[in-house]
Amino acid sequence: MALVVFFIMGIALWHFTVFVPDRFWQGIVGAFLGAVLGSIIFGLIVQEASGKSLGDTDVSTALIAVPGVLIGLAIVYAIGIRSERQLD
Amino acid sequence: MGTRRRHLFVLLFVLGLVVVSGIVIASKETKLGLDLQGGLELVYQGQPTKAGESVSGEDIDQSISIIEQRINKLGVAEPEVARLGENELTVSLPGITDAERAAEQVGTTAQLYFYDWEPNLIGIQRAVGGHPGQTPPKEALSKLEETWKESGRPIEAFAEQLIGAGAFPNAYQAALLASEQKPVENCKTCSVARPRFYLFERASPHKLIDGPEFKKKDLYVSPSGEKRPKNGIVIEVPTGVVLVSEYPLNGETGNYEEEVEPGWYALKDEPALNGNEITEPKQTYEPTTNQPVVSFGFTGEGREAFSTVTRQIAQRGQASALGPANAQEAQALSGHFAVVLDNEVKSRPIINFAENPDGIDGRNGAQIAGLGNLNEAQELATTLQIGALPINLKLISESQVSATLGSQALHDGIKAGIIGLALVVIFLLLYYRFLGLIASIALGAYGVIFFALIKLIPITLTLPGIAGLVLTIGVAADSNIVIFERIKEEVRAGRSMSSAISAGYKRGISTIVDANVVTLLTAFILFVLATAGVKGFAFTLGVGTIVSLLTAVVFTQALLGSMSRSRILRSPGVLGASGPGRRWHFDFMGASRWFFSLSGVILLIGGFALATKQLNFGIDFESGTRMTAALQKTTNEEGVREALSSVGINGEEVQQVSDPNFGDNVFQIQSHELEPGEVKTAQNELSSQFGIVENGFESTSVGPTFGQQVADSALKALIFSLLVICGYVALRFDPKFAVPVLIAIFHDILITAGVYSLTGKEVSSGTVAAFLTILGYSIYDTIIVFDRIRENVPRMPRAAFSQIVNRSMSEVLTRSLATSFSTLLAVTSLLIFGGATLQDFAFAMLVGIASGTYSSIFIASPVLTAWKEREPGFVRRRLRIAEVEGGRVPAYADEIEMAKLGRDEEREAEPSAAAEEPAVEATASAVATVERTDDSGNGADPRTNGDGDAVSAERRKRNEERRARRKARRKHGRR
Repeated sequence: MALVVFFIMGIALWHFTVFVPDRFWQGIVGAFLGAVLGSIIFGLIVQEASGKSLGDTDVSTALIAVPGVLIGLAIVYAIGIRSERQLD
Repeated sequence: MGTRRRHLFVLLFVLGLVVVSGIVIASKETKLGLDLQGGLELVYQGQPTKAGESVSGEDIDQSISIIEQRINKLGVAEPEVARLGENELTVSLPGITDAERAAEQVGTTAQLYFYDWEPNLIGIQRAVGGHPGQTPPKEALSKLEETWKESGRPIEAFAEQLIGAGAFPNAYQAALLASEQKPVENCKTCSVARPRFYLFERASPHKLIDGPEFKKKDLYVSPSGEKRPKNGIVIEVPTGVVLVSEYPLNGETGNYEEEVEPGWYALKDEPALNGNEITEPKQTYEPTTNQPVVSFGFTGEGREAFSTVTRQIAQRGQASALGPANAQEAQALSGHFAVVLDNEVKSRPIINFAENPDGIDGRNGAQIAGLGNLNEAQELATTLQIGALPINLKLISESQVSATLGSQALHDGIKAGIIGLALVVIFLLLYYRFLGLIASIALGAYGVIFFALIKLIPITLTLPGIAGLVLTIGVAADSNIVIFERIKEEVRAGRSMSSAISAGYKRGISTIVDANVVTLLTAFILFVLATAGVKGFAFTLGVGTIVSLLTAVVFTQALLGSMSRSRILRSPGVLGASGPGRRWHFDFMGASRWFFSLSGVILLIGGFALATKQLNFGIDFESGTRMTAALQKTTNEEGVREALSSVGINGEEVQQVSDPNFGDNVFQIQSHELEPGEVKTAQNELSSQFGIVENGFESTSVGPTFGQQVADSALKALIFSLLVICGYVALRFDPKFAVPVLIAIFHDILITAGVYSLTGKEVSSGTVAAFLTILGYSIYDTIIVFDRIRENVPRMPRAAFSQIVNRSMSEVLTRSLATSFSTLLAVTSLLIFGGATLQDFAFAMLVGIASGTYSSIFIASPVLTAWKEREPGFVRRRLRIAEVEGGRVPAYADEIEMAKLGRDEEREAEPSAAAEEPAVEATASAVATVERTDDSGNGADPRTNGDGDAVSAERRKRNEERRARRKARRKHGRR
């Protein structure tokens, strides 16, 4: 269930990237991948580190995903900017 | 064949089909599933008998054959045994109410034993039939004949044969003899180590009513709940004796004559070996005579036992001969070796001492020869396989449905279907007028043909199947809507009626095929991967979708085509196509960021709900037992809980519910998984304390294995559906079109999960199946939009992608909303009138359709736009448009030019000046690729904006200059 929570939080926050200038690597689809993967990977690491099982969820499970999404988006954004610079 | 003739042919063909379907409906019965007629469903998992081995498909098929034979003995009408998944099988027993006994009888491996025949005969039977080749004592023979006469059985050829073997005319006589025998205490070698009971009619000739049963009380109620006479004669057969029957042999065919009543024997229960000691029984041919035989091998112990017993039989035969005997004489004197399956002699070959003086060495196996024909040999081989069943059957799910509740569910389902159909017809008539009438006629034809197919195939109609059926009403109506909207467009564009109808079908058909193929693919995946109940849903949906293509496309085209020149169709108003029609001028792409935000907020709420409340998984996933009992005496939840605690069933959830048939005194009890015996105990306790209304008890037990299997199959179905749908969209459209579809599907799944978490509604296997199907179906809308985008891309070679999408959306939004609305009507009918189970399906469908429609318009298309706009070609277009428009990209391309292009099929479009459209900036943002410059973005026609007049005039002038320049270039041979 924790995986589903990470996934839903990733997608939920991805929706708000429409307010950010489109400089993500591969655009909106790249942002989608970044948000979802960031959320899941970061969430799993924290869940594992805190000794919780994947079936064990509470409000913190949803909150854990937020920094993961931001990290994922930031990485994809940084790649996007670098690609743009290389093209220029 | 001319068009007119072709239409006439199609009309006659469909009319003929409807007439034939009517005959089929009138003459054939509908096959109802257990959930609609009541009964018992058992799901078994095949498990290997030895560690390290696996269960093969052959093992499961063999088990099905065995169980079918066992069920036949239960006397159940129309039982069904079917394979389920890799190593499961499901057994449906309509009318059965005693789950415990039925499960015991079905799941127990058949009892196969081999007897040294003559020494095991008892009393008068042994005196008459225990000495082959010798004349039986007169006194014993006449006494036996007397019992036959007393029983009223005529002594004809078959009877003489049985009498000669020492058989009694009926089970009663054999049971009487058996009951006189001294019980063998702690018998280790007996086939049954317990006494058994038989029930006979009181009146002579004391026909056997039931038996053997281990409990005397089981004699009085059949597994289907049928009461048996209390005044019958009960006879106890002690341990150490068994009753077996044998049909006489037909001398001509060599087969057992099963049309005649069998003879009965009381045997000493000393089997020489049992079914577990033989291996690989199979039907083969005797190489020298080419006659069918059954050969088999032995286990180590089996070989020794077989060798010993056949040697004993041979030596006994040898001893009964006065001197050396030839093979023919030896045949008459040789003793028998009997194969007994479930207390019935299946074969009783002799061990010829002349041919096998030392018996038969089982090292090379053995074979049974002298069989009548190939069929008998095959049957015997199967029989022997029964005893050597290579797998254990573990009961993993058991569901008992009350006939009354089943009938109520059927009634609710039919009511919901009829109301759903009526609502869809009313909508079509109101909205499409004459075309709606045509669609209604097509829906009528669809209903008749589909129902006939259900009876003809036959499709077992289950509750999920009814849900699938109602959904296909929506699918059938949708196909009409897609085409009708096209026809209306063509009529409004100025085409003649016949030309508009022809073009409408021509252009609409690819959209319908695409949408229906996706629905069919999802239905197919569900059918292959899902559990039994869901298979019915998927099959009905699949067949219904195919039939709908015939009636909604082929039939309506012929009907409309044949009427296209008639007076009725002269006025566009008849089709609801008078006036310019509803044209949306909403800046879908510009507004998409706000819809994205709305989805984001909904998903965030869903995410927190899932994290804190999780999902309420039903027993399908979590395992457990659910019982529903309609009680006679009034009580409350605590009373029921206490009653169950008194028989050791604790920790259960009890909920009082109301039922249209049984009133308010109905209780739903949910607990950990109970064994069939425990369910029976609970039922008995509730019955004794409060009394249970007739047919007022239902139960479902699901083991953890089955729950896991349901979850696994749901996950597999989901993954395969996603892959197949995306693959199809990528192939039919463009690989880039598949990604937004995938994102929209995730969006739908997660929103639905959030809704289920927030509402706390139970998630069952049916919910998942309904939702998966809706995913396939909800892509309908996405495909309608994408199809139009695909069509508009070459028609607008200079337009920005956002303009193409806005144009496409404005053209198809009405159609998209109409298709979703018609399906929602059918689904809402299910939700309101469909009864508890169908309501579960309907809720999932409702959420799926709502979310699917929303996501196809406001998620999939904007994502596609944002992604495609990054392609260099579209980037150049945007820059060019922005340059012309003073740094802005209008929401819509020039409308006058578009219409001209559409009519003339011109491939080169004019520049996207968008003289009368609101201007938007070509700013870079993830989704909102176009932005409004004014604040009137409320969907109103932007051409009414008076402030833009001066700007528009200037643009028009610029455009005219550009056209003039282009014309001049063409004149000089340049493009």
